[in-house]
Amino acid sequence: MALGSDVDPCAKCEELLQPYLDRDLTDAERAEAELHLDSCSYCRKRYRFEEALRRFVRQASVEEMPPDLKQKLADLRTPLF
Amino acid sequence: MSETTPEAEPRKLAEEARDRVRFEEEALELADQVYRVARRLVATREEAEDLMQETYSRAFRAWRSYQPGTNLRAWLLRILTNLNIDRGRRRQRSPDMQPLEEGDYFLYNKLEEAGRAPDIEQERVDERLSQDDVVSALSAVPHDFRDVIVLVDIGDFSYADAAQILEIPIGTVMSRLHRGRRILKGQLAEQAVSA
Repeated sequence: MALGSDVDPCAKCEELLQPYLDRDLTDAERAEAELHLDSCSYCRKRYRFEEALRRFVRQASVEEMPPDLKQKLADLRTPLF
Repeated sequence: MSETTPEAEPRKLAEEARDRVRFEEEALELADQVYRVARRLVATREEAEDLMQETYSRAFRAWRSYQPGTNLRAWLLRILTNLNIDRGRRRQRSPDMQPLEEGDYFLYNKLEEAGRAPDIEQERVDERLSQDDVVSALSAVPHDFRDVIVLVDIGDFSYADAAQILEIPIGTVMSRLHRGRRILKGQLAEQAVSA
C-alpha cells in the first residue's frame, strides 16, 4: 500500500497501523509509513497510543486461574494403579 | 522368533504409563496459560472452569493422539475451542447484528474529543481506560472476532497457530483480527466516553 499523493496521507497511514505494528508490511511499505510518521505528530500519537493500548489490553485481560481449579484438573488424571 | 516375550508386555505397559504421566504433567504445567485464554473466550468464571475441566478430561483420555514435540498449548486450546463451539456459546449474535466497525484512530479521536486523550509520552493508557472497560468491551465483541483477538493478542499465539486451533484459513485469522481490534476499540470508545 503506498501513501500516494492523491489520497489523504493520514487516512492511508491509519490503514497501515495494524500491519505496521504486526510487522506485516513489506520493507517499502514500512519505510513509507515511517517517512509519514516522522513528519506527522497526529499519526505518530495515534500509533504510540495503539502500541500502549495493545499492552494494556493484554495486561487487563489476565485473570489468574483459581487455585483449587489446578487440583481439580490434576484429579482428572488417570490413576496409575 | 516372536518378540513377544513374557517380559515384553509389562515393559510396554510401563513405557506407556511413563509417557502418559509425562504428558499429563506437561499439560498441567500449561493450565495457567490455557485458563487465561479460556477465561476470555467465555462470559463467566464458572463457564471457564467447566470448560477447563472438560478440556483436560478429554485431553487426558486422548493423550495418545498428541504428537510429542508439537505445540501442546495449541493442541489443548484446539480441544477447548471445539468444546466451546459444541456447547453453543458462540451463537450469541448473528452476523447482521455485528457492531459497526470504526477506523483505527477512532478510539484515540473519541478520547481526544472528550478531553481525555492519554498522555502518550507517559503511555498512561490506564489513566483513561480501566481493566473493567477492557473486559466489558472484549465481551461485547462477537465471538468469531473475539476468539482471534484472545488467541493472538492475549494468548500470544501466532496467526498460524490460531488458524490451526480455530480450523480456519490464516487469511481469515488476519482479517478477523483486523476487524475485531477495530470493533474492540469502538466498544472501548463507547464505554470510555460515556463514563
